[in-house]
Amino acid sequence: MTDFQANTRHPIFNVGDLIVVKSGPPEVHCRTPTYLRGVSGSIVQIMGEYHNPSLLAFHKTSVSKIWLYRVNFEQADIWRKYSGPNCDTVAADLYEHWLIPA
Amino acid sequence: MQRKVNDVGGLAGLTINREEHDQTFFEKRVDAMLMLLTSPKVKAFSVDSLRRTIEESTLDDYSKRGYYDKWLYAIRQLLVEKAILSDEEIEQRISLIKHSKR
Amino acid sequence: MSHPDHHDHNHDHDHDHDHVDNTQEPAEELRHLEQALRELLDEKGIVTSAQISQQIDVQDSRTPSLGAKVVVKAWVDPEFKRALLSNPLETINKFFGMSISTPLELVVLENTPDVHNIVVCTLCSCYPRMLLGIPPAWYRSTDYRSRVVIEPRIVLAEFGTQVSDKTEVRVSDSTADIRYIVLPMRPVGTEGLTEQQLEVLVTRDTMIGTSVPNFIEQ
Repeated sequence: MTDFQANTRHPIFNVGDLIVVKSGPPEVHCRTPTYLRGVSGSIVQIMGEYHNPSLLAFHKTSVSKIWLYRVNFEQADIWRKYSGPNCDTVAADLYEHWLIPA
Repeated sequence: MQRKVNDVGGLAGLTINREEHDQTFFEKRVDAMLMLLTSPKVKAFSVDSLRRTIEESTLDDYSKRGYYDKWLYAIRQLLVEKAILSDEEIEQRISLIKHSKR
Repeated sequence: MSHPDHHDHNHDHDHDHDHVDNTQEPAEELRHLEQALRELLDEKGIVTSAQISQQIDVQDSRTPSLGAKVVVKAWVDPEFKRALLSNPLETINKFFGMSISTPLELVVLENTPDVHNIVVCTLCSCYPRMLLGIPPAWYRSTDYRSRVVIEPRIVLAEFGTQVSDKTEVRVSDSTADIRYIVLPMRPVGTEGLTEQQLEVLVTRDTMIGTSVPNFIEQ
C-alpha cells in the first residue's frame, strides 16, 4: 500500500502510538469530524500518503501529499455517557496535521 | 467552533427510516453525470470540491433537499466555478426547455 | 452531547425528519436543470449522452451480489481469504477478472467472535459502490450517520441484530475516501451448502455490518 521513496517525508507516527486529535483550527472541507476533536486514540495502521482533501476541494491539483492514519478510539473516551460496554470502539481515518502525540 | 451541516456524528437523530426504492431515472442520470465529470478522463472538478460545495449549503437546504438534488445544484455551481459553463447559458437553456414542448 | 429519545417510534414517517430521497419525479426546476446541464455538456463534448447511458449501464451492473461472491470465496478458500485481507483490490481484480478501482484504497474488515464491524461515513456517504452498488437511502441519512457512532448497539437492534457484550462493536467512519466492506462470519451449520446457496445468505446489510448472515438449519 505504501512505497517509501527516498525523497518522501516519513510518517511522524507509528502503529501503536498514542495521539490526541486537535481541536482546531477551523479548516474548510475538513475531514476530521467534530465528535473526535480533542479525543485520545491510538494509531492502528498507516494508510498511505494522499493529497489533502481541503486543497483538492478548491481545485488545487499539484499539492504535496500528507500521511493518513487509521486511528482507534475507545467509545468511553469519546462520549461522556456511552451506553455500551467498555470494549466498544470507533476507528477513523485521519490526516497527520490533525494529530498530536499524546 | 460551529459544525458544518454535514458534520453530524454524535448529534441526536430519529429512528432510521429503512424504506428503499429503486433509483429513479433522474437519479441515475445525475449519478452518471457526476461520475463522468469527476472521472480521470474528464476531471471537470474533484469529488472533494463537490463535498465542499454541499457542506457550505444552509442547514435548511441540507436537510430538505433530496440527496441527488444536492448533487445537481453542486454540479451546477462547480461547472460555473470552473468556467466550463456560464450561469447565463444555463439559464438560457432552462428557459428554452421550459418554453418548448420537450 | 444530547442523546436521542428512544420511546417506541410509530412507523408513520415524520416529515420533519431530514430528507429521504426522491421517490417520484423531481420538481420541475430540477428536471429542467438536469436536462439543461446534460444538453450543454453533450453539445460541448465534455460528457456525451452516449457516455451517460453507458455509465448508467455500468452502475446498474454493480449490485451487492459482487460483494457476496467475494465474501463466499473468502469463506470457502482460505488462500483467497488471506490474500483478500492483505491486498483486497488486487486480489478481487485478479480472482474475478475485474478492473475495479477505488478513490484511495479498499479495506476488508473481518468479523470474528471478538469483533463486530459496522461501517458509516458520518461526513457524507462514502460507500464501496464498486462491490455493493448504490448505497441505500438509510445509509446516507443523517439519522444513521449521527447515531451509529454514538449508539451502535441501539442502531444494530433496530436492524434486528444483537451483538454479545463480550464482542467489541467497532464502528469504522470512512472519513478519508478509504472504502470499507465487512467480511461477515460464516454461519454455523452451513458446511453442506453450495457457493450459490451461501451467496444468498450474504445480503448487502451483512457487508455494511448492520446485519449478520442468517441461517436456520433444517
